[in-house]
Amino acid sequence: MYRTITQLNDIMRLLAFWFPQYFRRVLLPERSVENRPVYALRLRAGGGGERRSVLLVGGVHARELMNPDAIVELAVDLLVSHALNRDLIYGRRRWTALQVRIIVETMDLWFLPCSNPDGRLYVMNVDDLWRKNRRLNLRSDCRGVDLNRNVDIVWGVTPTLGQVSCNPCSEVFVGPSAFSEPETRNVKYLLDTYRIDCFADVHSYSELVLHPWGHAPTQTVNPAQRFTTLPTGTCAPIAPGYEEYMTPRDQLRFQTVAQRIVNAIAAVRGRVYAAETAWALYPTTGTHSDYVYSRHIADPRLRKTYGYTFETGPYVGNVPDSFHPPDPTWVKNDTKSGMLALMQQCICAIELIGGPLLQRNAEVSALRRVRDDLLATTDAGRAWIALFERVQFPIMTVMLRNQKLLEEARSLLDLAGRLVVEEGSKPETADVERVLSLLRRLVKGSREETVRTDIEAMIVEVNRLGSLTVAATIEQLMHRGPGYRDSADL
Amino acid sequence: MPKRRKTADKSELQRPNVRFEATLHPGEPGRAHLELDQLGLDRVPDPEGGIRVLVTVDDLIRLVDRGFEVHIVRAYPVRPLARELIADKASVQAWLQSEVKGIARRRKGS
Repeated sequence: MYRTITQLNDIMRLLAFWFPQYFRRVLLPERSVENRPVYALRLRAGGGGERRSVLLVGGVHARELMNPDAIVELAVDLLVSHALNRDLIYGRRRWTALQVRIIVETMDLWFLPCSNPDGRLYVMNVDDLWRKNRRLNLRSDCRGVDLNRNVDIVWGVTPTLGQVSCNPCSEVFVGPSAFSEPETRNVKYLLDTYRIDCFADVHSYSELVLHPWGHAPTQTVNPAQRFTTLPTGTCAPIAPGYEEYMTPRDQLRFQTVAQRIVNAIAAVRGRVYAAETAWALYPTTGTHSDYVYSRHIADPRLRKTYGYTFETGPYVGNVPDSFHPPDPTWVKNDTKSGMLALMQQCICAIELIGGPLLQRNAEVSALRRVRDDLLATTDAGRAWIALFERVQFPIMTVMLRNQKLLEEARSLLDLAGRLVVEEGSKPETADVERVLSLLRRLVKGSREETVRTDIEAMIVEVNRLGSLTVAATIEQLMHRGPGYRDSADL
Repeated sequence: MPKRRKTADKSELQRPNVRFEATLHPGEPGRAHLELDQLGLDRVPDPEGGIRVLVTVDDLIRLVDRGFEVHIVRAYPVRPLARELIADKASVQAWLQSEVKGIARRRKGS
């Protein structure tokens, strides 16, 4: 059964009142078109300052009723898991209490369950297939703006074969201007006010995990083709042949994380979502997930945020039941597992271990530059990045169970950062042995075969590289991916 | 508290009574097709990757007029969500109480 907007708000109010050590409810600055308040909820365990954050938004399209419920239920599930040290089980997918603890104790989790309260109410009381908000459009008898076409990314451009319209009577109407709607401005407020590293806009239906770009095909070779050069508000298509640039590193990250989300959903009960660019579904402009990612490109002072769109649930033979099935339980379980995977993938082990704990931000930044400016520029380097991102969360769960391992990891991370910063440096033989010893202990402590295989690939490479200088090591990693064997090895 | 409207606005008066789920196909060769994107239709996902839309009677007329072949799959009267799909206050409260049982909570007045 589907909760009303009042009930969703009440749940958030009670969670914040009963458990202030976990939750803070935030009244967003803009009331909806029909003057309703809109609330977000922040969940964290423990104190401290700014953390990496994930923002989950639901209810953008009114008739897609399942997702606001799934989002608020996930907030409750995370509380219960952390407070009672219980595993979270969604079908056949188990999230251990330790995995949840890492997420809740290291990140800020933001939930905006229903960004379009007027629309949800209208679906429940008048028209169960309503999609838009409830704006009274000027000089039109038609109401509503499509909130997922109203955001400021190539706004008001209507791609060929796309799903965007400048007609107020259309279900995909862009609105009178970018961010004309209070409901979209509330999402922007959260992005402007809080550090948000990862974002998901949760919709229904068709069992997809989408990532940028949505307005044009993605390419990684011509940085000159950027949306910042495109006119907006034209109500006309983009020039034929235009393809939007993305760095190879980000394209790999989007694809890798989307696949992890797909895997986490499939593990629940076998539903296989497809991961693809939003454009591959159909061209769109003005969408939330493209906008969040575009911000750091439009303004390099802003933090990079990785944005995804989930389309939850399958077509079940008719449209109303696909948008709001009589029993959404299993689709919500799929969705919650996917959202948890996004949270997990948003954690950065190096930042977590090295940043706030070591207070060595310069060294962490140096390592980040090696990753983004050097390794990310070659296929081999990106393969190493992908390997590290595969193992970082399982490794952290091993280290958090063993304080000595954690201390050793911190010490080695500190050393690595200092070596990267010092020109011409090279590690001592004893330090290389420490790295190998740590990796071997991580292999022993890891339960998953794939994780052990990946760590063993790291051991092979550390043995091979020996005590090369840092610069030579990075050069080697940029040209020899994991598992590479040349004729000397064979 | 949102203001109550005393009279139905024009958009409510012009709300359709029914929508149709339909699939679109190329029509007669030689007839001009207005590109689908220019029609701004409510396109819904199609399980076979085709073009599936939710349309009104007026939309159907426009589509046929522009040379599409339209297969109507189903008709949906415009109506609110079935009452039995809406949670009641008591069950929502009971659910929340049950979920957080065993976790120490702040009490009113504390």
